[in-house]
Amino acid sequence: MLNLGVMASRVLVRYVRSLARPSARLCPVNVTVRAAAAPLPLNQRSFSLLSCSQRTRQTDQTRVPGSLVQLSRQYGDLPPLTLESIKDRVMYVLKLYDKVNPETILVTSHFIKDLGLDSLDQVEIIMAMEDEFGFEIPDSEAEKLMTPDEIVQYIADKKDVYE
Amino acid sequence: MASSSRTQVLSLYRMLIRECKKFPSYNYRTYALRRVQDGFRENRNVDNPKLLDRLLSQAREDLAVIKRQVSIGHLYSAQKTIVEE
Repeated sequence: MLNLGVMASRVLVRYVRSLARPSARLCPVNVTVRAAAAPLPLNQRSFSLLSCSQRTRQTDQTRVPGSLVQLSRQYGDLPPLTLESIKDRVMYVLKLYDKVNPETILVTSHFIKDLGLDSLDQVEIIMAMEDEFGFEIPDSEAEKLMTPDEIVQYIADKKDVYE
Repeated sequence: MASSSRTQVLSLYRMLIRECKKFPSYNYRTYALRRVQDGFRENRNVDNPKLLDRLLSQAREDLAVIKRQVSIGHLYSAQKTIVEE
């Protein structure tokens, strides 16, 4: 009985030691970890934490558009010009001009001879055409354009529009 | 009117109108456009070369004034008036 009791106590002790050892091993490690961490000033640690969180936030932000939103480009475009559409727009601008009678104007009517306009009016008409079609007509060309038909031809030439 | 002064007048007219359209303020813009158009129409029958020269140099000075006023207007842009919206 006594032997048994001694053996049992030894087994117990060994068991307890084996239990205690890992914790004993762990403890110094924990201590060194704490020792290593402790010298860091508190604000530095918080700063590094902050910067870490910022970095993750940034990567999150950069990941979101790539994964969720399909990047696409959309270009503005006008319907292609045709001789017919150029003619319609030229006549529309001319009919809006207050000195032109919209009922008497024809594609072939001469601004000065037929419509009774002067050279200043012709300059204004050409400038209205520049605004309408979005490009500049040089003076030397502008003074030759005397009928709506010539304006249509000139714009079609400049914009590469053919039949 | 000689052909050279004719093209001169017309190109000056173009330049003036183009510059007037740049006024940011509605009131200045419409006034300047109207004034240029009326001024040229008023003197359309001038034959006297001296008077013509005087008017042309006056118009060039006015063009410079308009250019300056347009850039000043862009520095101090105001709210758009209700007629423009």
